[in-house]
Amino acid sequence: MTAIVPEALHQFPTAFTRAREGDHDAFAELIEQHEAMVYSLAWNFFGDRSRAEEVAQDVFLQLYRHLDNLESDAHVLFWLRQVTTRRCIDLTRRSKLKAVSLDDAGDLPAAHKPADPLLDRRLKRLVQELPDAQRAIVTLRYQEDLDPSEICRIVGMPVNTVKSHLHRALQSLRRKLEKHP
Amino acid sequence: MSLENDLRNALRRESPPAGFASRVLQRIEHERAPKRNRWWRAVAASVTLTAILGGWAAHTIHERREGERAREQVLLALKIAGEKVRYAQQEVRTIGTNE
Repeated sequence: MTAIVPEALHQFPTAFTRAREGDHDAFAELIEQHEAMVYSLAWNFFGDRSRAEEVAQDVFLQLYRHLDNLESDAHVLFWLRQVTTRRCIDLTRRSKLKAVSLDDAGDLPAAHKPADPLLDRRLKRLVQELPDAQRAIVTLRYQEDLDPSEICRIVGMPVNTVKSHLHRALQSLRRKLEKHP
Repeated sequence: MSLENDLRNALRRESPPAGFASRVLQRIEHERAPKRNRWWRAVAASVTLTAILGGWAAHTIHERREGERAREQVLLALKIAGEKVRYAQQEVRTIGTNE
């Protein structure tokens, strides 16, 4: 049985494979597979839904242009995380944008109502006050559940630098939470 | 450890507003369309440029031919005038010899 499953999978090309061959519907499928990840990376980084949508759209537009350079579904996932993270950091550096407007943070989808909405909101705000690199690393660590060895490949930093950023970010968050519990 | 769990909860993935994929596909279509326009615009510009350069070249050739014709006419006029002067000189010399 275990031998049959991979063989069967090979008979049905993935959305990525079909999209690379020019199938427009398959590209739409590919967007739907990854939209929550890309959008949330930008949303958790900026705390601004319209900016998150804009960044996510730009990233998928770029993906469409670069499909031929990508090799597998895993490569697509890595590429999307890398491009989204770097775009968020670049945009912040370029416009010196410090988006901490979480006015629309309350309208979360009903299915994902958090256990403590106030704590969620506060944590999001505190994450967005972190320096750019720390913010990106914390988002990749806790949104995407990646470990430092995976994060370092995405942000292009040595693994020890990533660990140090993460450590400092957590210290800073703890300190701020304790200061104003 | 609790902070890390709280962060996982606060930063969990959320779906974008409905219709996100359609909006991206619309932008892709929109991006393709101007490219086609740009291509046609480039063709139209090169045709216009060719026509202008062709017209200018034809005009230059025409002007050069006109100039050559005028030069030939001037040379012919000079030649005729020269012949007439020579004839007049010859006549003067003949009159001088007869006297």
